[in-house]
Amino acid sequence: MTQSVSVSKSTVPDARRSPRVLPNLDTGWGRTILQFFAVVAFFGIWEGAARMGWVSNFLVGSPAKIYDALVQSAVSGQLFVDTGYTLFEAILGFVFGTAVGSFCGLALWYSPFVARLIEPFIVAINSVPKIAFAPIVILWFGTGLVSKVALAISLTAIVALIAAYEAAKEADSDLQALLVTLGADKNDVFMKIVIPSTLPYIISTFRINVGFGLVGAVVGEFISSEKGLGHMIFTASSLYDLNTVWAGLFVLMAIGFVLYFLIDLVERSLLPWRQASNASTLRV
Amino acid sequence: MPTHPMPTQLALRNIRKSFSNKQGAVDVLGGLSFDIKERDFVSIIGPSGCGKTTVFNIVAGLLQPDSGEIIYRGQAVDGLRGKVGYMMQRDLLLPWRTVLQNVLIGPELAKMPPAQAREMAMEYLNTYGLAGFENAYPRMLSGGMRQRVALIRTLINDPDIILLDEPFSALDYQTRLYLEGVLMEAVETFHKTVVLVTHDIDEAVALSKRVVVLGGRPSQVKKIYDIEIEARTPIGARSDPNFSGYFHALCGELDIQTEVRAA
Repeated sequence: MTQSVSVSKSTVPDARRSPRVLPNLDTGWGRTILQFFAVVAFFGIWEGAARMGWVSNFLVGSPAKIYDALVQSAVSGQLFVDTGYTLFEAILGFVFGTAVGSFCGLALWYSPFVARLIEPFIVAINSVPKIAFAPIVILWFGTGLVSKVALAISLTAIVALIAAYEAAKEADSDLQALLVTLGADKNDVFMKIVIPSTLPYIISTFRINVGFGLVGAVVGEFISSEKGLGHMIFTASSLYDLNTVWAGLFVLMAIGFVLYFLIDLVERSLLPWRQASNASTLRV
Repeated sequence: MPTHPMPTQLALRNIRKSFSNKQGAVDVLGGLSFDIKERDFVSIIGPSGCGKTTVFNIVAGLLQPDSGEIIYRGQAVDGLRGKVGYMMQRDLLLPWRTVLQNVLIGPELAKMPPAQAREMAMEYLNTYGLAGFENAYPRMLSGGMRQRVALIRTLINDPDIILLDEPFSALDYQTRLYLEGVLMEAVETFHKTVVLVTHDIDEAVALSKRVVVLGGRPSQVKKIYDIEIEARTPIGARSDPNFSGYFHALCGELDIQTEVRAA
């Protein structure tokens, strides 16, 4: 469909549109095709450069060998053990951290006094790079699962807490006043106004926190572990096995990708009223 | 309609309120007194910043006056929380609730049995032409429809007094006339008392039985007008021979110049 001729009942002036030479690629299929070609080109150039000796096989690896490493690890079953382990740690850390953080942040709405009292401490804790706690966390919780989950919680909880608290503070005061005139008490206002109006902000922290959950798990594994993708990457890099390192990284990327889309689904089901719009987007 | 005198429903006696800020205290209400009768329709008008909304919030029970008395049906009360319905310029619909769920918020807080509340809500939605929209979210509706939902939410709770704070001022004139009509009819049908806070003299005269003019700083009741207009529709009231007389008198009270004069 390169040209639309005749039957033009459109009243939109055409003057400022640039003449269309290419087919419209800004559609679902169009974008997918472009993205697919971008990926193919990336790996093609990489593989070519490695084979031609333009880049060092030793330092950069090559897609074909990364694939070999992946297959080898998958066949031995180790890949699935490591992936499952890291995924489990990350999800546990994400769920507990986000739940505890959101809960505390919302609870602070009840007492502005307590909130103001502890605000500087929250800022102080938040300003420390949490990953620097990793050595202590390992000392306290050992080298197993618990320490990775604890590290992931320390990363995710504070993000959720701050977001939930800020959003709860901003909850529309006119809506709260309306409920009060209808005879609502503080709990009613909390349940019927504060929580629902905070929910979109809490859910948007899910996206950030899924990433932080993985960070906590992988960094914990770097420091001390017997399995997990962090363990796989760390061990391989100390053996200069760059292809296995890349294999681990790509699996991590795939995990992050899938989790992100799962959160999209969660958002759609929890916030149906946000999707309910038939307003068209403005085109400039 | 022959009017036999109605008993007083709500009396404000010498209400004072000041707000403090960094520059010190600002007296907003300096001893305000007026009565609202049973089934009254009272508009409160005044220049901007005269504390109309403060009066509104005190009656609603959202603010405590510094001094003065609120007497409701002969008894001194702190405010009328739970007895009033409340409508503002913003429709204040909860965006995460459907139309039906929004209407049901009052019955829900009053712990009414859900089946009964639902049936009542559907009846109201049918009456006000919102059947078929009960599962829509507010953002899908037009401004006029949203304000109708807000009106139903106010009525379904069967409040003793309906408080309106410029409820229609964000709407276009057509929608506004229509909703004024809907409001007047509802008030007649359900025998409600209404307090309307507005800066719109036209609306105040067309809808009210009485108009309370606030003025001065801190503000006091400057004058109370009894509006004798027989017509019970917003358009009818505006074509009443008495309408323009009241309109000009109130403009005069607010120092609004209705003619362009040479300086």
